Amino acid sequence: MQGAEAIAFAAAESGLEAYFGYPITPSSEIMENLAAIYEKGKYGNFRVFFQTSSEIESINMLFGAGASGHIAMTATSGPGLSLMAEGISYSFLSQVPFLIIDVNRGGPGLGNVEPEQSDLSFVYWSLGHGGTRVIAMSPFTVSEAMTLVKKGFELAFKYRMPAVMLTDGVIVHMYENISWKTSEPLRPEVSWSARGRGNGPRHEINSIYLEPKDLRAVKGDLLKKLEALKKEAAYECYYCDGPLDALYISYGISARIALDAVRDLRRSGIRAGLFRPITIYPFAGEALANVAKMAKKLVTVEMNEGQMAKIIKAETGLEPEGLGYLGGEVPRLEEVMEAWR
Amino acid sequence: MEVKQLSTFFPNAANTYCPGCEHGLLLKFIGMALEELGVVDRAVMVGSVGCSTLAYKFINVDYVQAPHGRAPSIMQAIKLLEPESVVFAIQGDGDALSIGLQELINAANRGIPVTVFLYNNMVFGMTGGQMAPTTPNGLKTTTTPGGIRYKYLGPPLDACKILSGFDGVKYLKRVIITPRPIYTKDRLMYSSKEAIESYRAVLNALKTQLNGGFSFVEFLGTCNVNWKMTIEESKKYVHEVTAKMFRPGLCRDEFGVEK
Ligand SMILES: Cc1ncc(C[n+]2csc(CCOP(=O)(O)OP(=O)(O)O)c2C)c(N)n1
Ligand code: SF4
Repeated sequence: MQGAEAIAFAAAESGLEAYFGYPITPSSEIMENLAAIYEKGKYGNFRVFFQTSSEIESINMLFGAGASGHIAMTATSGPGLSLMAEGISYSFLSQVPFLIIDVNRGGPGLGNVEPEQSDLSFVYWSLGHGGTRVIAMSPFTVSEAMTLVKKGFELAFKYRMPAVMLTDGVIVHMYENISWKTSEPLRPEVSWSARGRGNGPRHEINSIYLEPKDLRAVKGDLLKKLEALKKEAAYECYYCDGPLDALYISYGISARIALDAVRDLRRSGIRAGLFRPITIYPFAGEALANVAKMAKKLVTVEMNEGQMAKIIKAETGLEPEGLGYLGGEVPRLEEVMEAWR
Repeated sequence: MEVKQLSTFFPNAANTYCPGCEHGLLLKFIGMALEELGVVDRAVMVGSVGCSTLAYKFINVDYVQAPHGRAPSIMQAIKLLEPESVVFAIQGDGDALSIGLQELINAANRGIPVTVFLYNNMVFGMTGGQMAPTTPNGLKTTTTPGGIRYKYLGPPLDACKILSGFDGVKYLKRVIITPRPIYTKDRLMYSSKEAIESYRAVLNALKTQLNGGFSFVEFLGTCNVNWKMTIEESKKYVHEVTAKMFRPGLCRDEFGVEK
């Protein structure tokens, strides 16, 4: 199945209720696949498919859908993500869940439509004003993209905050064998939602706290929530059970090339390993620090100017050497292999 | 006289709008109309950004606070997913016609049944009286201290004129919410006609939503604080200046709810 089709299928299977989106390359195929699924009407939960007038409208419709307790998502790319920042900030403080799929293209500006991983800093550090944080995940196969869509919904509702799946045009356009077990659609607990108070208590989805002490208190609660979120940090480690000549650290599409490099190096007797973060926020810093103790050298491989290397420094204090690929170029296998020295 | 406590509002919630402002009046009419229609339990207010934001402190219905200008988008999403809900927003003229015009006209064109109440005071009230897209020549604001709309800003935007271009709008009306000062020989009184008309417009807009249509009512009101006028002067201004520029009246009543 093609990445875009698989992601759309996984979303519908997981219980997606509403899709809001504005076309942008290289994300549009996800939207088009969802339009086709919606048209067929096989998924009863999937009640709203909506092409918005802009990403500003998309994010606010996601906010409305999430605030009323419904499973909603969008897919976009850098320029759209920039437009969404204000709404994501409101959603973080108002504790509104939804999923955004960012199909990272070359940036900044209009850049190009080739794959990059250059939205990482934006998503990881603060995807909106005032200290906004979001859950961030990055798949390295089509199958994993499918499971992360479902996990994105689960985590977004469990922690009541926006989640972002960071991916790129390679994953979205590539054909791969998939495995998917159909299960019951998600039914998150949404007794907090605002959809008319009915016989119950009133619910307020708000981000205004005019008194400094009130805002301080609610931000304190959010920080506690982020602390609890840490236990969701997910990663994979290849050949990490002994001393290493080099530990590569890579995620998303770059990690596929890094894994090829590691396997080739192993064949020629070099003890190489790969640490692959699956969640970017929360970041599995502790696990990485433990593996890093066994390695003579750390090398990051990513398609930007070294954004993950900075995150690793902040999360663990480690300072890996970095290979960065800019402008829409994927890592070159020989170069990655050479970097172990 | 016995004063009935509306269940739509928190008991004893103090009005924190400036004295003489009709923002509170509009909110009260909405509460009364929700009760009259028996839909308080289904109501969701989407707060916009402006002085109407303060509504969350008083109104006892489910509430979602939108970013500046984006209330229509949030309302449409809620309505699409919760068709039984009764969804409304109070937007200021800056919120609806400056930063949020794109969201508003797209909502109007689609006609998803939600209700926008526009409180037009012709300035940015909450941020301290800057120019709005509705500011007329002659009204001094903090960003047009000479009282002259810069010539390439064009004439004030007319919301009802804009929205009348969209078939999706099923109820469209402009009313004056500011009571008219009446001068008798020995004292100043205020007319109650405006309140009655405004209440009816709120009720009819919500009825239109219940009948499946998008509805929009513009209320001409004051902001005496930022207009730098006394309450009395500001009320006179609405009747003598604002209402001449923005003509009150019914533009559309597709479902005949006014009858
Ligand atoms: C994105 C954004 N830009 C600017 C503001 C600041 N701001 C808050 S309210 C407002 C204008 C309010 O004027 P109006 O909508 O006419 O409502 P009023 O207060 O007059 O009722 C502005 C510019 C904001 N909150 N968000
Ligand atoms: S600032 Fe103006 S619009 Fe806002 S409450 Fe005061 S008088 Fe009303």
